[in-house]
Amino acid sequence: MFPYYLDLALRSFKRNVALTVLMVFAIAFGVGASMTTLTVLHVLSTDPIPGKSHQLYFVQLEPRKALGARPNSEPLEQMTYADSQALLRAGKADRQAMMTGGNAAIEPQRSDLKPFFLRGRWTTVDFFAMFRVPFVAGGAWTAEDDTRNSRVIVISRDVAEKVFGSVDVVGKTIRVEGNDMRITGVIDSWRPAPHFYDLNFDTYSEGDQLFAPFSTSRDLKLSHSGSMDCWEETPDSEVLGAPCVWLQFWVELDSKAKADSYRTFLTSYSEEQKRAGRFEREPNVRLRDVTEWLEFKEVVPRDVRLQTWVSLGFLLVCLINTVGLLLTKFLRRSVEIGVRRALGASKRSIFFQLLVESSMIGLAGGILGLILAWLGLWAVRHQPTQYAALAELDLPMLAMTFLLAVFTSLLAGLLPAWRGCQVTPAIQLKSL
Amino acid sequence: MLHMKDVSKVYRTEMVETHALRNLALEVNEGEFVAVTGPSGSGKTTFLNIAGLLEELTGGDYLLDGVDIKKLDDRARSRVRNEKIGFVFQSFNLIPDLNLFDNVDVPLRYRGFSRGDRRKRIEGALERVGLASRIRHFPAELSGGQQQRVAIARAIAGDPKLLLADEPTGNLDSQMAREVMQLLEDLNAQGTVVVIVTHDPEIAARAQRNVHIVDGVATDLERAPSLVRPTRAAAGPST
Amino acid sequence: MHFFPILATLRRHRTTALLIVLEIALTCAIVCNALFLIGDRLARMDRPSGLVEDELLRIRLTGIGTKADDKAVTVQDLAALRAIPGVKFVADTNMVPFGGSSWNSGISTIPDDPNGNSAGIYMGSQDLVETLGVQLIAGRDFTPEEYVEDARGTAPVPSIIITRAIADRLFPGKSAVGQKVYVTGKEPQTIVGVIEQIARPNDTRAGVDLAGFSVILPILLPYTMGGNYLLRVEPSRRTDALAAVDAVLNKVDPNRIILDRQTFEEVRKDHFKADRAMAYLLTGVSLALLIITAFGVVGLASFWVRQRTRQIGVRRALGATRGDILRYFQLENLILTTAGIIVGMALAYAINLWLMQKYQVPRLSAVFLPAGALLLWLLGQVAVFGPAMRASAIPPAIATRTV
Repeated sequence: MFPYYLDLALRSFKRNVALTVLMVFAIAFGVGASMTTLTVLHVLSTDPIPGKSHQLYFVQLEPRKALGARPNSEPLEQMTYADSQALLRAGKADRQAMMTGGNAAIEPQRSDLKPFFLRGRWTTVDFFAMFRVPFVAGGAWTAEDDTRNSRVIVISRDVAEKVFGSVDVVGKTIRVEGNDMRITGVIDSWRPAPHFYDLNFDTYSEGDQLFAPFSTSRDLKLSHSGSMDCWEETPDSEVLGAPCVWLQFWVELDSKAKADSYRTFLTSYSEEQKRAGRFEREPNVRLRDVTEWLEFKEVVPRDVRLQTWVSLGFLLVCLINTVGLLLTKFLRRSVEIGVRRALGASKRSIFFQLLVESSMIGLAGGILGLILAWLGLWAVRHQPTQYAALAELDLPMLAMTFLLAVFTSLLAGLLPAWRGCQVTPAIQLKSL
Repeated sequence: MLHMKDVSKVYRTEMVETHALRNLALEVNEGEFVAVTGPSGSGKTTFLNIAGLLEELTGGDYLLDGVDIKKLDDRARSRVRNEKIGFVFQSFNLIPDLNLFDNVDVPLRYRGFSRGDRRKRIEGALERVGLASRIRHFPAELSGGQQQRVAIARAIAGDPKLLLADEPTGNLDSQMAREVMQLLEDLNAQGTVVVIVTHDPEIAARAQRNVHIVDGVATDLERAPSLVRPTRAAAGPST
Repeated sequence: MHFFPILATLRRHRTTALLIVLEIALTCAIVCNALFLIGDRLARMDRPSGLVEDELLRIRLTGIGTKADDKAVTVQDLAALRAIPGVKFVADTNMVPFGGSSWNSGISTIPDDPNGNSAGIYMGSQDLVETLGVQLIAGRDFTPEEYVEDARGTAPVPSIIITRAIADRLFPGKSAVGQKVYVTGKEPQTIVGVIEQIARPNDTRAGVDLAGFSVILPILLPYTMGGNYLLRVEPSRRTDALAAVDAVLNKVDPNRIILDRQTFEEVRKDHFKADRAMAYLLTGVSLALLIITAFGVVGLASFWVRQRTRQIGVRRALGATRGDILRYFQLENLILTTAGIIVGMALAYAINLWLMQKYQVPRLSAVFLPAGALLLWLLGQVAVFGPAMRASAIPPAIATRTV
């Protein structure tokens, strides 16, 4: 019966082209707008490090003075230099890394290339293994380099190609802020979106382009970039004992049990610091994994979420619109439906026939809606927002477009099809 | 074959109760050709709707070809309509954007016949009504009489046991009306039970048996007089 | 006129009537909120910075490596930039209104106040106030003696200039000049001047009611710490001045990187690009919604005209004029639209409450409701006009036709 219903649907469309086109467009616009915003939302909410997002944890401690303490407050969102160093040395997790953002000027030592400015990361060796940073040449520095302030550096492939014209540059030196640093590795394009490990920057922008050992960055007085929060006046905020937080500390723990015991360790560390007089407040630690951390920081921009709701509301109106138009379309054919019923069609047959007609409109609307969504995402990509480049339709979103369109039209068709099949055979037959 | 006893049909709205049929009794046997007559508002249209399973009865019994209609749900009733009954309407009711082939095809589709089977039946039916040559034409291209013949073809394509016609010649001129009636008589001769609802005494006269419905009650008329006066009918045998 | 008969007719076509009312209600609710949000965003984008925006250029730069002589170079830079034709004043500074990155500190009338409000702290070279062009409403600019050379906070900072917003909050009803506040260091700063306004580099973290909380401190910064040079130029000579900056700075010291050269208008535009995009999106969606609803009304009205063709013919046969028929359908549409609008308004408020809670949107101001209502009434009447005209054209002869 399905091909028969298909044929009947097509004939019905030909009979009233204007109405059909209107309905297809209404669904297409609703689906196109919704899929554009849903794709952006999807792209911005994906797990940035699938497979490991429940093994990487962000550490938070509460080092502030008693003055100003409020009950049930959140501890600070970054770590002090002293605490990071202490936790690193304690080594109680499978892996751990302390880090901060930084800026550095690269001097290519070429007459045709002027010095340029890059954002980088000052961190410790475990960073690369923890975050699965992909290398195209060489590798990270060693644990000893961390302690010896070695002049070593890891750069991105874009930088390598810009300065040296190739990625085969392991062992070469590059001049950073006036210092010669030896390249130990070149990483492939790496742009975790959002770059969850440090949310002080535009969350979806370009990744870090160069990495150096944290201790080296202190030794060379490389500038820090990010957010600095001091709870007391201090002459130098970047010194070891300063009352300021500006570092991020991540640990890798591959089981829930390990996470629980690390949390206990953090609490006892806080108590120890309190006894020593450094911390003044009650231990207030947090150990959130990547997903929890992103949720807590509400990483997806408020505007993106708002836009998604707006377009879903739009889709709702399109749906109701389609219900109304389908209802008129089917009720107009009361006579024909009455004849078919008299000739032996059951209510169910009529119901399915009309439902097939609705889903055909949905399919056509889906195809058009896909084109509109593609156009919408093209427009988003040309916006000057930080996540512009990420706005692309992937396979799951593509499938979802069609499903949404067909589902919407099926839903819209339910009431009209039900009303259509209720047409009693007897009453309609006398009058035309 | 068609057995109605004590059939009543009541239409209820918020304020008014209309008794369209009251204790109607009727028996139609195999091979009969019955004309149902009566004044407007008498209930003959309601009788047709009930006979054709287009409406449900309020009270009484109706057995069609041995099957008790009251026990059937919508699905089963549609099946019976589809397999056992053929309809011919006053206003033809052909679907305008289907050609003749597809129009005759409609009931067969709901029957579940194979493609080849349907084709054979459609061509056979249109042959019987003499319109096989116009098989790919559309209703708008035919005259009134021809359209009605297509409607008849549609009604018989599934080999129904009962043919119900509601004023089949009402919209036709006398020449075409005669042709259509001839066709119906031929079909009856070949074994189909034919029940026609009509107000035209000439048409009624051609039927083998006349039933008169007044105020919801059916009365058989032994002969079909050319002019039927209501008083005479009331004086006849009552049920 | 025909009010009750119309209602009776609509009751018979309950489902389609309800659908239209629902569609109009939803459209009204969404459009009211959209218009309101657009207005809110436009107001945000129009916020005054407090500066002479059409005269300002902003240069962002950084040094390479550690510089021993950066203070001296800064002085030379400022002199060289001042010499560019058309330039009236030059200053270096640590941040710029709508510029993005921000330095903040707590401000209070008592020392070590844990409940101090956060204020943006501007600092730089001596001509900063003149360069910014901020309007002084009380007191004076800093004197050269009040400037402190040490940004690291070891030397006490004696004076401060605050904005009107801070003055009103901390010293309501009295003059703020001469009062003391604690912003940096152990010693308080004395307020020497109050300016009308200087916007903060970013408002989002501090919250809307602290948007006007900024101070200027007389702390001299070398460009390597501040990172910004501001030039106040005659409006017509801005392009030339921008073009000349690179050469001028390279002459003083080629060993650094100039990251950005913008007019202040470009700075503002960049900062509000998200708001602009949102405003565009909301406008587009509102328009699309109105068009779709209009078509829905047309479709449904056409259907009803068709269903009631015989009725209309009968009415005309009984003496109704074409105008009567037209007005009948217009009135019917008005009733439906009004019902939709009433539900829509309630829905609009509900949506706004939800938005307020989840997305910190301000409360919907009442003026948008009549605006939305008017829009939809107009839309409904325009949409129903076509079908209503067709209805009025139905000939009375239809009444006698049987087939």
